[in-house]
Amino acid sequence: MSDIVDHSRRQFLSFAGKAGLTTLVAQAVGINLGVVDIVRAQTGKRGVEPFRFAIISDAHLYSMPDHKFDTQLADAVAQVNAMTPLPDFVLFGGDVAQNGTEDQLVKGKKILSELKMPLKIIPGEHDWYLDMGDAWRGLYGDETWSFNHKGVHFIGLNSILVRDFWTETGMTPLERMTVMEMLESPIPGPWGVHEKQLEWLANDVKDLAPDTPIVVFTHSPLWDYYPRWNFQTSDAPEIREILSKFENVMSYHGHVHQTLFNRIGNMSSVAALSTSWPWPYPPVELAFPETRMNRADPSIATDGMGTQVIDLSGSFEALVQYNPFEDSLTPFMRDGFKV
Amino acid sequence: MTNQKLKIERVLVVSAVAAVLAAGSSWARAPFTDEELAEQKAALVESVALGYDLWHGSRADMTTNGLACGNCHPDTAAANPQTFPKYMTMYGKVIPFREMVNWCIENPQVGTRLDVNGDDMTAMEAYAFYLHRGKEITPGLASEQTTPIVVEYGTGFARTPTGIGVDTKP
Ligand SMILES: [Fe+2]
Ligand SMILES: [Fe+2]
Repeated sequence: MSDIVDHSRRQFLSFAGKAGLTTLVAQAVGINLGVVDIVRAQTGKRGVEPFRFAIISDAHLYSMPDHKFDTQLADAVAQVNAMTPLPDFVLFGGDVAQNGTEDQLVKGKKILSELKMPLKIIPGEHDWYLDMGDAWRGLYGDETWSFNHKGVHFIGLNSILVRDFWTETGMTPLERMTVMEMLESPIPGPWGVHEKQLEWLANDVKDLAPDTPIVVFTHSPLWDYYPRWNFQTSDAPEIREILSKFENVMSYHGHVHQTLFNRIGNMSSVAALSTSWPWPYPPVELAFPETRMNRADPSIATDGMGTQVIDLSGSFEALVQYNPFEDSLTPFMRDGFKV
Repeated sequence: MTNQKLKIERVLVVSAVAAVLAAGSSWARAPFTDEELAEQKAALVESVALGYDLWHGSRADMTTNGLACGNCHPDTAAANPQTFPKYMTMYGKVIPFREMVNWCIENPQVGTRLDVNGDDMTAMEAYAFYLHRGKEITPGLASEQTTPIVVEYGTGFARTPTGIGVDTKP
């Protein structure tokens, strides 16, 4: 858990280097990997000043005092604060709260305020549906944002917007929240960023040159992983289309509570570990199955949880390192991987 | 003798035995009527539906920290009931699925264990096994993370919001 950041001299497994094998496997099982992009050139002068950022995600804080998830989020904060070098900033991937109550969101803000570096945050479904984001916005600000950092354009979107299922059925806010709390809830259907944010996104990137390094950050994955558990974003194809002019787009997301990598077209996708509990891998075939972590051992209370740190190079290549609280990674993942 | 022929002969023998049993089964009761079968299915569905609610936190004494089975096991994923009984390291011995359920209640959920012979435990088991119906019974198997169960829309059970878990299928 402590030797997570000093891997600079090791050889890293890279998906770019594995393109040949992956292509063959993909063809054998009929998966569309967008293989053209796997073999994409690794270099290119995009003017990135190398830096690192960390991701903490899915704290799912409950209201009772001294809950174990409070400690686990605090441990994640301590883990990030102990990284050398320190990340320039931290992204929080949503689901601060479990039930969307203000006390839970306040508790999360308090624990996250111990971070030594700035925090940018987007909402998860557990944060949102009690008051439709009122408390969250009051505490954390806008849920749609972008900023430039050392040559990289970062974009945050609220990807957990669903159609209104509560007005017609006369649900109370608490009932609405309850519906959204359940991963396999059949009521809300697939969520997404919706039209207004798509317009915002198109406008946000319209003047950026194609070689601008782009990082897009959402709660849910920008690809159809397992829609039944909303491991998806319904308008991800539109997002990918808007971002298709860029040479290299990196997507990072929360919600799935597990290690995971995928690539579609010019977009790579990396999932974040949670700090609360790990979710099983859904029964679907993956293009990069080697990015699964070990099956969590329930008798080890924090197995399968942790944080992640991403080092961006001058050519906008990412070294992704998961930092689990316990020994949760397979040998393939242990030293990180390049995106 | 070819394998094919051997197979055919075996089938014939089995069929003959079955025919004898059927003809001479005067000691057995008559087959269930459609009505009886429907009642039995309805009773199972009721138990599964109760299990679905319990799985998602409807019984308060099963948790003191708010966690329910569904937190870590959506759609009973990775519960793998068909692999029990099996050796579990936390017990150091072979245990049945019901004991695994109680372990999760007592440890991650810090709740009070269910009566292993009670209707609630039966319902938990009914829900988990129902979603895994048709899966091969493989006692001891511990290598697979998630059995690829096909879950229909919702759970297939009509539910109204309970404050815990819901299902809209009519
Ligand atoms: Fe989450
Ligand atoms: Fe989520």
